[in-house]
Amino acid sequence: MSADETTARPPQVMEIRLHGRGGQGGVTCAKIIASVYAGLGKSVQTFGDYSGERSGAPVRAYTRVSDEPVTNRNKVYDPHHLLVLDPTLLSDEIVTGLRDGGVLLLNTPEPLSAFTGRFERFKLALVDATAIARRHKIGTRSVVIVNTTIAGAFVNALGLTLSALEEAYAHLGFQSNLPAAEEAFAAVQVREPLVAPADQEGHVFRPGPTLAVMPLVDNVEGAPTGLRTGSWRTQLPKYVHNIAPCSAFCPAGNDVIGFVQAATRGEAEAAKVLGKSTPLAGVCGRVCPAPCMAGCNRAEWDGAVHIRGLERWISDHHPVAQDSAAPHPSPKRVAIVGGGPAGIAAAYELAKAGHEATLFDGEPSLGGVLRTGIPTYRLPRDVLDREIEGVLRLGVKTVLGKFLSRGELESLATDYDAVILATGLQKLRGLEGPGGDLEGVEQGIRFLHRLNMKGGVKLKGHVVVLGGGNTAMDCARSALRAGASRVTVAYRRSRHEMPAIAEEVQEAEHEGVEFQFLAAPVGFQGNGHVEGVVLAAVELGPPDDSGRRRPVVTANQSVLACDAVLLALGQSADTSLLPAGWELGGGRVSRPGPKGEPEALPVFAAGDLSTGDGTVTHAIGDGRRAATRVMRLLGDDIPELTRPDRAKAVPITDIRLDHFEPAKPTQERLIPAAERVRHYEEVNLGLESAMESHRCFSCGECTQCDTCLVYCPEGIIRRKDLAYAVDYTYCKGCGICVTECPRKAMEMSAS
Amino acid sequence: MTMELVSANHATAYATILAARANRTARGFGGGVYPITPQTECIEKLCDVEIEKGQVVRVESEHSAMAVCMGFSIAGARSFTASSSNGLAYMTENVFAAAFYRLPIVMMAVNRTLGPPWNIWVDHGDTLMLRDSGWIQLYCEDNQEVFDSVVAAYRLAEDRRVLLPVMVCQDAFILSHTMMMTDIPEQALVDRFLPPLDLPHRLTNRPRALGQLDNPHETEVHRKHLQSAMNAVPAVYEEIQGSFQEVFGRKLADPVVPYRMEDAEVCLVSMGTTASTVRAAVDEARSRGVRIGSLRLRMFRPFPEAVLRRHLAGCRRVGVIDRDLCPGLGGIVWSEVRSTTPRGAIVQGYMMGVGGGDVRPAHVTGVVRDLLARERDGAPEIVEVGQ
Repeated sequence: MSADETTARPPQVMEIRLHGRGGQGGVTCAKIIASVYAGLGKSVQTFGDYSGERSGAPVRAYTRVSDEPVTNRNKVYDPHHLLVLDPTLLSDEIVTGLRDGGVLLLNTPEPLSAFTGRFERFKLALVDATAIARRHKIGTRSVVIVNTTIAGAFVNALGLTLSALEEAYAHLGFQSNLPAAEEAFAAVQVREPLVAPADQEGHVFRPGPTLAVMPLVDNVEGAPTGLRTGSWRTQLPKYVHNIAPCSAFCPAGNDVIGFVQAATRGEAEAAKVLGKSTPLAGVCGRVCPAPCMAGCNRAEWDGAVHIRGLERWISDHHPVAQDSAAPHPSPKRVAIVGGGPAGIAAAYELAKAGHEATLFDGEPSLGGVLRTGIPTYRLPRDVLDREIEGVLRLGVKTVLGKFLSRGELESLATDYDAVILATGLQKLRGLEGPGGDLEGVEQGIRFLHRLNMKGGVKLKGHVVVLGGGNTAMDCARSALRAGASRVTVAYRRSRHEMPAIAEEVQEAEHEGVEFQFLAAPVGFQGNGHVEGVVLAAVELGPPDDSGRRRPVVTANQSVLACDAVLLALGQSADTSLLPAGWELGGGRVSRPGPKGEPEALPVFAAGDLSTGDGTVTHAIGDGRRAATRVMRLLGDDIPELTRPDRAKAVPITDIRLDHFEPAKPTQERLIPAAERVRHYEEVNLGLESAMESHRCFSCGECTQCDTCLVYCPEGIIRRKDLAYAVDYTYCKGCGICVTECPRKAMEMSAS
Repeated sequence: MTMELVSANHATAYATILAARANRTARGFGGGVYPITPQTECIEKLCDVEIEKGQVVRVESEHSAMAVCMGFSIAGARSFTASSSNGLAYMTENVFAAAFYRLPIVMMAVNRTLGPPWNIWVDHGDTLMLRDSGWIQLYCEDNQEVFDSVVAAYRLAEDRRVLLPVMVCQDAFILSHTMMMTDIPEQALVDRFLPPLDLPHRLTNRPRALGQLDNPHETEVHRKHLQSAMNAVPAVYEEIQGSFQEVFGRKLADPVVPYRMEDAEVCLVSMGTTASTVRAAVDEARSRGVRIGSLRLRMFRPFPEAVLRRHLAGCRRVGVIDRDLCPGLGGIVWSEVRSTTPRGAIVQGYMMGVGGGDVRPAHVTGVVRDLLARERDGAPEIVEVGQ
């Protein structure tokens, strides 16, 4: 069609209707068309049909053109021409009222041949306005704004000139979009009506169907708003599980957020969650340094959720270990050397899966350092016994009271399908200085062993404990209970760098233990029996590999008079106990094969022997990992146990803090310091209830809080079972539910 | 003068900007604004433009918006705000205060249905709720009339014989968001039409109290003054029409706009844009030989009783079409118009397009049919027009 041709004389009032979706600029498109006619001296009127639109909702806009002033203020029902901006809106219904012979312009990539047999009463015009606008970079790649482009095609189909279009764009300030409009002007394909126009007078008022209206004074449930989304949406909300920092930070691999949330519903459910990963919740709930609490998103806000206290509370109110094992089609026999936390955890993991685990330990009873090292005032033995019994009930066998020789160890590797070595840290660090052999200087671990396994240990006078870890705290507090009149802990770094659990240090201080920081022991004085420790003043230098500032020992020395010294300077793995040729690397033992190349044995190391991390929780995690590796080696089809990626944990910036009330953490109940130093009874009585669990943000895990449902502007999120369902037919992808989710349990994803 | 394709929201903003600048040699312009659909476009446009000696204050609520306007006005500035529906409901206390302080503030009110349940479409119930507030109320039919009414409203409000605030009302979306060619005059013309504001009671350097306790007799007198000011409006308005014609070369619409009333025995009275639909139905009925005409009530306060009485004198049947509902009474326009109809006439109330439905000529034709068939008038009826 040439630009000069015009269509038939316009009727007295020409009406144009436009269909688009919210965000496409349909109202502006109708305005462009009105402007073109206004430039030709016509009287015009243009308006949108406003409703509860959001991006993507179907919208209509109208333009009237007349030689006389336009006075009709109704919507347009029987348009002379129709423009459809969005191909997905095209239906036979949309052309309702369009008069015969009228222009029907569609934004579509389809050719005319695709419409054979359809819309034959109209002057069909097609243009791929989306492609043209995208080429001209109008809007974004995903949301192309087509209004200024398609107007060019419409002007052509209506038989108007390019210059009229140019004039309107100049007047409206749309010159930058003119090239796209001109391209559409040129590209539009037109098919003249194939059926002769029928009598045009047939258009009379037809009242639309009246819909039933629900009363306001009745509880009725209606359908969602009638705004179907179609294909406009580019994103949609999804419910997801993001990892909570507590779970990501737990070395044992516990489902921390799972048991804390379960604790809001009761001890039985919470114990079940814990039992999936640990049989030693009562132990960890007492002695764990609780990295979970360090990671807790409430820590910086109003104080971490007292997760350790909750773990203990659960274990104290309900058995945690699973009470039955899964039957295994071909159970394997696994020997575990070392009955400490790593060994017990490995045995538990194997027994749960239906394998036969046997625990070997040199002591007469299981528990390792939990029994020989940790004082009873921190970990009552009935708690330990109860949890070990839980593991043994699963069929775990024991061989106790005998330390294995190298030869016996070697034969285990052939007698059993696999062996796990979990012998802990047997090598004790001493002090290389004069006087180390004086009477009264003793390894703290040995002192605790005597105290815990034999009892009746007495101390007197001033006892100095050297070191700053949990063993040092155990020694110092036990020394008080054993009769020392004064106890001093000397530590070479500052309080801030002490590896001991902060509460332990505080409790020790309350009980009367004295501290001397930045004091490095360099020797002992005495005549047969120790009479003093020589301490050198320390200055803190630059940080070392552990991130702590390196102590620099000075020549400034002093003597701290004392009657006994307990060394708590650290422990390490003793690999000299391994059979000849056994090499430990990457948690597994190998020995030289016939040709000298290393040959992997079905022998794994677990816990402190392997990692040297030195906490019960690390030992449990590593014991489980070793057990999993054994099961995989022996043919079980299970995934490897990996530590979660801490970097992926939900950060506090993703928590909508406005949804929460600040509340200080609940504290555990402690026996008064003056009373507790008189005996070895448990100092800490634990939390009074599990109410603390209600402080949990539940980072990354839906709690069915209904926030998404309440905030959805479409009202199309519904409760479904114990979760929610979004009706994607009506979801516009606005993302309000995701933004409002208090705990990052929802995310937007590509539609 | 330029013709611009603009919405009535923008036309209002342009009118106010011109009026604001026209006061630049006096105490300038100031307004407090708070958004609400469907008037937001208007205040957005106003905030978008730099006005010499002018300031638009964005506040946290409609109540404060009117408070800010009162502050500007009492200081002698020309003042404006816009609101709608529940925003007006929230503003109400200060709407009354503005009139009782005799402040010549102009407010554009987009008529929108009061909620809940929420509805953004046209209904006159929001501004009719304020009919007793002491404000002059003008209801418009098209975009040009909105523009003209806003410009004229300042002149009317600020006239020494009046000194009352004016509310220019326009139908949601049908006017507020509909774009039509609108004649927007040059500043010089507006300057000629609209002299600088010289508020007699404006604040000066000398401190004084405002709105303190009024004893009963003082209130009696102050209310009498208010009533006299209202009574002065028709004559002042007529003067302004003359001046408007002279300056802008077009007619400022009458307080009551008649259509084909010369020999009419039947009359339909309506307000706002419904009137244009009514005219189409009048034409249709006339073509069938019915002696029918229509009246558009443009000025609702002060109520143009005498004008209506004169127009309706020969009518035996009067249908009043309200776009509002006073629950327990019927249409508010009907309840007032029926005091102006001849004795013995059938006066029937119809409420149409309540909540914003599209009232079409065929709906009104149905009303004409009903009115002609009546032997006596009855209770007002709500006519459902659907979407």
